[in-house]
Amino acid sequence: MMWIFNSVFGKIFVLLFYPFQSMSPWIGMILISFLTALLMLFVYRSTSNQQGIREVKNKIKAHLLELWLFKDSLSLTLKAQGKILRYNSKYIGYSLKPLLVMIIPLILILIQLSLWFGYQALDPGQKAILVVKLKEGQNPLHIDIAVEPSSGIDIEIPPVRIEEEGEINWRLHAKEKGIHDLTLIIDGRRITKEVAVNQKALSRISPAKVRRNFIDELFHPKEAPLPGNLPIKKIEVKYPSKSMNLFGLNLPWWLVYFALAIIFGFTFKGIFKVEI
Amino acid sequence: MTQIKRREFIKLGLTAGSLLAAGSGSDLVTKVLGKRETSKKILLLGLDGMDPHLLHVWMKEGILPHFQRLMNQGDFRRLRTSTPPQSPVAWSNFITGTDPGGHGIFDFVHRDPERYMVFSSSAESTDAAKTISLGNLVLPLSGGGVKNLRKGRAFWQILEDHDIPATIFKMPSNYPPVPTKQKTLSGMNTPDILGTFGTCHYYTSEFTEIKEDLGGAQILQVYVLNNKVEAKLPGPTNPFKKDRQNSEIDFKVFIDPVNPVAKIVIQDNEFILKEGEWSDWKRIRFSLIPTKSVKGICKFLLKQVRPEFKLYVSPINIDPADDFFTISTPENYSKKLEKKFGPFYTKGLPADFKALDHGILDEKEFLEQDDFILKERNEMFEYELARFDSGLLFYYVSSTDQRQHMFWRFLDKNHPSYDSGLASKYGNVIKNIYREADKILGRAMEKADKDTILMVMSDHGFTPFRRQFNLNTWLKESGYHSLINRWRQGRDILFTNTDWSRSRAYALGLNGLYINQKGREGQGVVNPGPEKEALVREIAHKLEDFKDPITGERPVFRAYITKDVYHGPYVEDAPEIIVGYNSGYRCSWGTPLGRIPKEIIEDNTAKWSGDHCVSPEVCPGIFLANQKAKIGSPALYDVTATILNVFGIDLPGEMIGKPIL
Repeated sequence: MMWIFNSVFGKIFVLLFYPFQSMSPWIGMILISFLTALLMLFVYRSTSNQQGIREVKNKIKAHLLELWLFKDSLSLTLKAQGKILRYNSKYIGYSLKPLLVMIIPLILILIQLSLWFGYQALDPGQKAILVVKLKEGQNPLHIDIAVEPSSGIDIEIPPVRIEEEGEINWRLHAKEKGIHDLTLIIDGRRITKEVAVNQKALSRISPAKVRRNFIDELFHPKEAPLPGNLPIKKIEVKYPSKSMNLFGLNLPWWLVYFALAIIFGFTFKGIFKVEI
Repeated sequence: MTQIKRREFIKLGLTAGSLLAAGSGSDLVTKVLGKRETSKKILLLGLDGMDPHLLHVWMKEGILPHFQRLMNQGDFRRLRTSTPPQSPVAWSNFITGTDPGGHGIFDFVHRDPERYMVFSSSAESTDAAKTISLGNLVLPLSGGGVKNLRKGRAFWQILEDHDIPATIFKMPSNYPPVPTKQKTLSGMNTPDILGTFGTCHYYTSEFTEIKEDLGGAQILQVYVLNNKVEAKLPGPTNPFKKDRQNSEIDFKVFIDPVNPVAKIVIQDNEFILKEGEWSDWKRIRFSLIPTKSVKGICKFLLKQVRPEFKLYVSPINIDPADDFFTISTPENYSKKLEKKFGPFYTKGLPADFKALDHGILDEKEFLEQDDFILKERNEMFEYELARFDSGLLFYYVSSTDQRQHMFWRFLDKNHPSYDSGLASKYGNVIKNIYREADKILGRAMEKADKDTILMVMSDHGFTPFRRQFNLNTWLKESGYHSLINRWRQGRDILFTNTDWSRSRAYALGLNGLYINQKGREGQGVVNPGPEKEALVREIAHKLEDFKDPITGERPVFRAYITKDVYHGPYVEDAPEIIVGYNSGYRCSWGTPLGRIPKEIIEDNTAKWSGDHCVSPEVCPGIFLANQKAKIGSPALYDVTATILNVFGIDLPGEMIGKPIL
């Protein structure tokens, strides 16, 4: 069920970013931030008490004016401050509903965006670690597991098995450009995990393939989940992380996303007549 | 006098100042001067330590075709080196067109006459003048920094005055780089982020006597528990803390129970190495205060996982992409190179010869490391060569020097460290690096058009280092130096056992001999003037006359009285005598720090087996050009005069050279 939702929801982003894949990731980021701002404005207008917000904000302004006009009168000043606090609480109360409505779509968007903006595909010649996390109680020394090298990905040296962490680590050596299916043979069953090498500037990279589990699948939406009867719970490629470069400054993608969405929201709230 | 360890004083000196200096004095906007098209261009290769004798022999063998061709086109001369022929001194002669009297660099180290202490001659670090304290925090408000101690103007600064562009790649004795808008990258004397000239870390489960003052290496004993090693990588001293504690990073190594492989996890880096394998550059960050951290780069070598665990971590080089240290001009030049090529060796002498000397790296591993360095340098050379269209390009190679230092023992069957087994394996290492240099020259020759003057130079040649001369012991045995306790002889450094009231001379540094002069030294006894003059000449004569009781040879080829051989305003700061050793000899390992062992001369059993800290007449450098030389016996400062002359610039008054071409 979760996998079907992930597939459909993920396709929306593929279609959205398709024209911009070869361009700077900033183009895709600006687009999605703008669309998020529009969505937030729409949700805010539809779900909040716009009249109430307007009144509360006017009252706060009025009491701020009162503070300035009657600053010599202690009693009036204290009363005004009390009222400002009260209306502020009311204002926060009015904002809660749209925020609660927004939170789930925002989490789903953020999960999708992390695939597009969070990871850097491997370069040909680059090395990375493939980690297989075992289910509780499994011993990495006793498990029957192997990784098959392919034309695009080489496995140069034997794995490092860490009992304490319940994991097995292989070193991958990226050779050719492409999305490669790396095959793992676990207890005689063949499982694939995709590995991205030298992709376009804006591309969807899946770091992990996880077991069938609501939370795990929610946070790793690109690849179909692992069959349930395997002794492993996760296959992960340790891609280098990606950041947004702004005049030489490397910024986290999520910070750029939120900052742009807020800027767009405030810029367009007048046009859409939304009281924030 | 309190005893201080060499590692500590270098660390305190260079690191603290470097760290406090960071952030100040940086230009927000930098631009590279000089798009002026020059009718003549100069392409200059600086091959550190290339020896004229070896070059001649191997040219005759026909294995250095490009050197041969260049010599046939133009000229090949022995290049008179500096007195003494130490790299910082020699390259400073070239940089400024003067001798040590003009640039003030007389040795790798100088001494504080008041305390008889040594300090780095190349750079000085000072603490912030004003600070504010908040609990254990010390925040600098003003002042402090790292200062290049070389005096005199660099020739590329003079070129800049005349709008002639220059790219100066890895010039020694230029840290921190002198202010200029030319593209320069600092070379030898650039410290690692600990502020030393290179300290590696070696983690082993093998029982080892922990030696604090190993000099260039720190051995750390670790335990393998459940196939896991937990250790700490020491970082720089934290100048923002009152107690100046060392920063450090935790890391873990997971070893496979059967396979000879391990996974290393340090900060954001996770990587797998098999036994005997090097990692690529790993970026690490030492947090000093929440808003300030210093970034470094290092490589890991997993030497062995079983039966004993052995992991080598290279000296932590300054990250060329980090703002904390200035290693280039403009400041973004190193960042641009990093962006193009990724992290690269920034430490002055990049190959870790100390690790080889201490047996942490073996010959094969050392050469692997030096090959990485050579590869990086060659890629950058190709890049700069492709962009070179005007002015001057200087490109420097360190591997020629470092490989000769460490592998001379395999050329010399009389060397105490000669090993016939290893010689059959590594006997061609020096020949091969000359071949590599020939290839580099070949690339330069391809690029050189009719308007390009192509020159190749080295700062000095090489000689065997078989016997080590304890200069302070000789002074003591000759009656010029006295000890407080005879039974403690050989145990102390920095003269903690010296009776200064009865000592007239002392040696510090690799070639320097000083008179314990009244009014200058803290406890001076020799009057300046005729008394001192007579003493200087007496010591010089006796040194030259002394013979090695074992070989019958004279260890000292010539003792140079500096006031007779130096020119310029800084002669007074020089040692009174520069001891020019004979071929086969050099000062002992203890002399630079004032050690006084019992024997005057001992065998040198170290792997550091070739050297050049001898008499300049014994180890000249090389000069080749694609034009005929007009001077029969050119000197380093003549190369500087040649550069200015090619571009039609009048020689400044302080320069003492003459154009060679």
